[in-house]
Amino acid sequence: MDILRLIIDYASAFVLPTIIVGFPLYGMYKKVPVYEVFVEGAKEGFNVAVMIIPYLIAILFAIGMFRASGALDFMMQGLRPFLELINFPAEVIPMAIIRPLTGSGSAAIVLDMINEFGEDSLLVKMAATMFGSTETTFYVIAVYFGAVNIKKTRHAVPAGLTADVFAMFVAVYVVMLLFG
Amino acid sequence: MSSKKRKIGILNYIWGGLIVFSLVFALTYDVRDFATDTYRNGQPLPVTVVFPDGYQPDARRQAVSVQLDAAGFGAFYGVDDRPAPAYDGTLIQTDDGRQLRFAQNTSVPEPLAAIRAFTSSRDNDLRGVVGSFPPQADSLVATTVTFDAVRWVKLNAIAEAALDFAETAVTIALSLIGGIALWMGLLQIAEASGILYALIRVTQPLLRPFFPEIPKDHPALGMIVLNLTANMLGLGNAATPLGIKAMQELQTLNTTEDTATNPMVMLLAMNTASVQIVPPVLLVAIMGLQVNQLFFSILITTFLSLVVAISVTKLLGRLKRYRDTDPNRPADEEE
Repeated sequence: MDILRLIIDYASAFVLPTIIVGFPLYGMYKKVPVYEVFVEGAKEGFNVAVMIIPYLIAILFAIGMFRASGALDFMMQGLRPFLELINFPAEVIPMAIIRPLTGSGSAAIVLDMINEFGEDSLLVKMAATMFGSTETTFYVIAVYFGAVNIKKTRHAVPAGLTADVFAMFVAVYVVMLLFG
Repeated sequence: MSSKKRKIGILNYIWGGLIVFSLVFALTYDVRDFATDTYRNGQPLPVTVVFPDGYQPDARRQAVSVQLDAAGFGAFYGVDDRPAPAYDGTLIQTDDGRQLRFAQNTSVPEPLAAIRAFTSSRDNDLRGVVGSFPPQADSLVATTVTFDAVRWVKLNAIAEAALDFAETAVTIALSLIGGIALWMGLLQIAEASGILYALIRVTQPLLRPFFPEIPKDHPALGMIVLNLTANMLGLGNAATPLGIKAMQELQTLNTTEDTATNPMVMLLAMNTASVQIVPPVLLVAIMGLQVNQLFFSILITTFLSLVVAISVTKLLGRLKRYRDTDPNRPADEEE
């Protein structure tokens, strides 16, 4: 198992340098005017970033308002009785709700939980597993679809959220299984 | 076309819901605060002001120490939090009266912290008007302090959050410029030199079952491979530009301008489910070495949620609702 870990560590260290050096190197070998082609492609960078802005503003400000309104506390209270029926600890509910909405917000929750329950607690392990195994769904939607001006997202949101909800439950039960 | 029933996508409801519910929840909080008078607006809080160097009647500003009676404080606000024995502060005397300022950024118990955040968010020093004061004061004076009224905290907070996050969004988007430009450039070289097509030939047997709509040997496949690889290895800074480039390639296959195609939804689902097999950098930063223990729980969860994301995407894609909106639906299904 440690071998697997080692391979992945090496891969993450080497992949980027290999690509960043490898692409131009191979281009030169193929007699491509690498500098000119690079600049041509890179030109797009600014426009793409600017294109994302309205999408990102729309998503982030709505999420920011929602967080600031104290809605999470209410949702926690409302969901608690149902989730406790299925052994889902109430303490990780904020994490489960916030994770698809904001990355920095969920990191802050992990930090709070470490202070409150201690690094070794099962609850922190659950929250951290949730953090590590899912993405900030709405941010990804805004950035990826925003870059190509896609407004009608069809089944992207339901699919992404279903996977998120599922991952929250799996995280809880896997941690219970491995460490409980 | 106009007679057709307009179908509104789910994102509109979620987005609208977030905004409407922010208002609902904020109002609920504020009305509750109002009903219970959480902040005891306008009521004088008993305090003891201690002058370490003796009281100087002519001094405009003098350093003081503020003492709050623990039990009295709890009873006054009806809270369980207890204040520290003493707080540093400044007494400011003018012709208009006396003002007490707590030192900046001291940790004060609730609801004082909330009062400070609301009434003095810029300087972050809790301040209030001092009540009765004996003309011949000693080194110790028992008096009261009245803070500015605190009302509609959450309503103000959501409005502020909306503006803050709009700004944050621009910062984030602009911070992506460099990374996007770098990868767009590199990928342009990869395409021109043909290395991208070599990559596609190797990986497409694995990838095309998930993206059957993408034609064989299309550059989009190469971008998707790179995006997923970068994601897997936790190279977020590279993954985002690569994903954007993949979306752009997919957009060239799109017959509409604003509607997501099946491969786009699939790529997005894979990305939101996260295919990462190493713990994210942010998590490592927070948890340090502890994160190593979580390697397998994260790996298992990621894998299972990825399987669910892919299956759900495929299944939902078969629903009539989403087949009808597919930009690349076959012509015979048109009506």
